[in-house]
Amino acid sequence: MRPPLDLTLPSLQGWMQAVIEHPGTVDEAVEAPAARAALDPAEIERVIRPSKTLTSVERVGVYQGMYLLRMVEALEGDYPAVAHFLGAEGFSEVVTRYVQAHPSVSYTFNRLGARFPEFLRDSKAVGNRGFVADLARLELLVTEVFDASQSPAWPAGEIARVPEEAWPAARLEPIAAFRLGAFGYPVNAYLQSVKEENHDHPSTARQATWTAVWRKNYEVWRLNLSKPQYDFLRALAKGRLFGKAVADAARGLQGAAGEQLFRWLRDWVAEGMFTRLNV
Amino acid sequence: MKPLSRNRWSFPDLGVGVGLRTAHYAHILEKQPEVDFFEVLSENYMDTGGRPLRVLEQVAERYPIVLHGVSMNIGSTDPLDREHLHKLKSLAARTRALWVSDHLCWTGVAGRNTHDLLPMPLSEEALRHVVARVKAVSDVLERPLILENASTYAEFASSTMPEWEFFGRLMEAADCGMLLDVNNVYVSAFNHGFDPKAYLDAIDPSRVAQYHLAGHTNKGTHIVDTHNDHVIDPVWDLYRHSVARTGNVSTLLEWDADIPEFEVVHAEALKSRAFRLEEKAVAAAS
Repeated sequence: MRPPLDLTLPSLQGWMQAVIEHPGTVDEAVEAPAARAALDPAEIERVIRPSKTLTSVERVGVYQGMYLLRMVEALEGDYPAVAHFLGAEGFSEVVTRYVQAHPSVSYTFNRLGARFPEFLRDSKAVGNRGFVADLARLELLVTEVFDASQSPAWPAGEIARVPEEAWPAARLEPIAAFRLGAFGYPVNAYLQSVKEENHDHPSTARQATWTAVWRKNYEVWRLNLSKPQYDFLRALAKGRLFGKAVADAARGLQGAAGEQLFRWLRDWVAEGMFTRLNV
Repeated sequence: MKPLSRNRWSFPDLGVGVGLRTAHYAHILEKQPEVDFFEVLSENYMDTGGRPLRVLEQVAERYPIVLHGVSMNIGSTDPLDREHLHKLKSLAARTRALWVSDHLCWTGVAGRNTHDLLPMPLSEEALRHVVARVKAVSDVLERPLILENASTYAEFASSTMPEWEFFGRLMEAADCGMLLDVNNVYVSAFNHGFDPKAYLDAIDPSRVAQYHLAGHTNKGTHIVDTHNDHVIDPVWDLYRHSVARTGNVSTLLEWDADIPEFEVVHAEALKSRAFRLEEKAVAAAS
């Protein structure tokens, strides 16, 4: 038995992490340049003791084998519809590449998937990647809304109490748990079909869609919007002067635009999308 | 040795608890089961203002809470994550947590997190490193840190002492406590070929703030700490053996994969009552 190798704690941890994060087999991992830079594979027994049943490499392999499974499981929790669309093998493959490019840098898994949509958008190996990236963007909005801080909803009854002359210069403020998304595909319909475990999924062909995602009573809700609704809601959520937002929105509407816009606003306020009106 | 009824910090014996898990939220809020305490995975509640935090607040109104973390990275050579520590402190205050625990391990270096509980070399260098960091963490948290013995699957050739000695010296030098995971002792003993009772007998009973129990998966060549099953009889035997030394200490069952109905998890936890000391034995000891 050769004497232990005198690796410093930083070197030892750097080597072990390089092995664990490697996407191949553990045998490939210990031979890879990142691990080799810290430890010659021939010296591993001088760092990890073999047990009666496992070699030194196999013992590190217990950790290495669990790393990607954990990452896949975490991202599957945040992106169930993307995982469903890609299938278990396809999702695992893309996550393997993703965590190599964007390994977890936080104490929480909550932030691991923050760059997943853009990664999918740029992944040429992913089939129908425009759709998948949009679907991931919607699922990221859902996650953000789920975790956003709680803010009280502006009561629907308050609308009637606002003096008419105050409206033009007023600004609405959305709750913290509110997001809007514009997509090139019908991703909300697809997400809904996955949630309902309906395997007769809607089309994934190109089609512009708009969705509001918000939280009410600690549950996340999604609402399909028309383009005029999206534009109006987006202007309000961005804090545009109410009078200006209404004027812009009315230009694109036929008939009694004022009534229509008021109806939309009343519904959105009733849904708890706004926290206050700043007059 | 007389069994002690209290640890050196007078942390109360809360009885028998279970981990608060998402799958059981609705049951707990609706049925309000008679549970002695809940343990909360700290990191799951630090970065959310949504339902998990709301549920935790409701649970904390009714039940004692203890915090248990997996990402303190106490053994890493990376700098301590101050954001994590301050959020942990804030969560502890918000939930009136009776104590805060994490693991003797490292989870990543170079700013990355493998989200695994990686083993420490049991060396003088590692001991000095961890002692300094535990003291720093205790200063930030303004309370003693409680560290759990993790299950380990690899041991380092550079280790110069057994884990129980490392833990004993660490606790003495950094004045921290131990969350003694009896299942982890069993798992590591199997994987490394030591006597689990020797481990338990070497731990200063006055430093044991809490017990953990869990199920595991025996792969034949090694055991993995999977928290996905009932506690096996040899682990119950070890628990009984240890309780005879420490007296009754807050005991928690972990069940984190293939999670069954709440009643099944709670019933498994309550089995520990059969191994805890009778009231009069505790009174005599104290």
